[in-house]
Amino acid sequence: MASRRSRSRQSSGSRITDDQIIDLVSKLQQLIPEFRRRRSDKVSASKVLQETCNYIRNLHREVDGLSDRLSQLLASTDTDTDQATIIRSLLEE
Amino acid sequence: MASIVPRLEPAPDTCPEFKRRKRRIPNEKLASSHSQHNQGIKRWRTQREQHIYSSKLVQALRRSRLTSTSSSAAREVHDTADRVLAVLAKGTTRWSRAVLTARKTARHKKAKVAANIRLRKPAFNREKRKKPAVQKKLKVLGRLVPGCRKLSFSNLIEETSDYIAALEMQVRAMTAITEFLAAGGPA
Repeated sequence: MASRRSRSRQSSGSRITDDQIIDLVSKLQQLIPEFRRRRSDKVSASKVLQETCNYIRNLHREVDGLSDRLSQLLASTDTDTDQATIIRSLLEE
Repeated sequence: MASIVPRLEPAPDTCPEFKRRKRRIPNEKLASSHSQHNQGIKRWRTQREQHIYSSKLVQALRRSRLTSTSSSAAREVHDTADRVLAVLAKGTTRWSRAVLTARKTARHKKAKVAANIRLRKPAFNREKRKKPAVQKKLKVLGRLVPGCRKLSFSNLIEETSDYIAALEMQVRAMTAITEFLAAGGPA
């Protein structure tokens, strides 16, 4: 593994071994919910990368929506909400 | 906790033993060779970390709310959430360092890059036709993860894994906070 890593440092992607690519792609595959359910090995690297990009974009969008809601909620519950109470309730779940 | 986030899988530590055993075997090889990423699989996935993040986020939001204008409030919240997330990473990953250093220059950068893309497009199209789909997608991925545009393939995958796990925790935490506040807070 050490020799493979030193080789890959020189290039921007053309000299990495196929095995290494398969290894890393499968690692990525495990993180994405869709592929975890199916658990097949037949998914191409291109598809995994595509789904990864889509998934990250979805997560960004989700956080955007949550930020929007949070900003509205924070504006409306101004000085009434006790911060310690929020934290305590979150910890007591 | 499992009912709060319907879209994502329930927090892995609801059955910690089982998941740990399942994941440790394939990842042991990678974990031993990538010594700098010794955080392990449980990073970003424990209840404790999520609670730490939630409380720090709430504190930060209360502080920043005094200064934000109503038009950019959502953006401010998102930036704060990202910043607190990056701080929690303690400088161990490239994306977290990039988030913390890029905040001030973010707006200027975006305008510059947009202008450059418009100028460069005709020349680059000819070369890009030769690139395989995988290379193109790697580039897109590099742009999505902060601070990872010029990383090698394996480093990019490492950063992406950590980034995705962190984002998932961010979603879980913010959802919990939102639901709590929406329910009316303390009576």
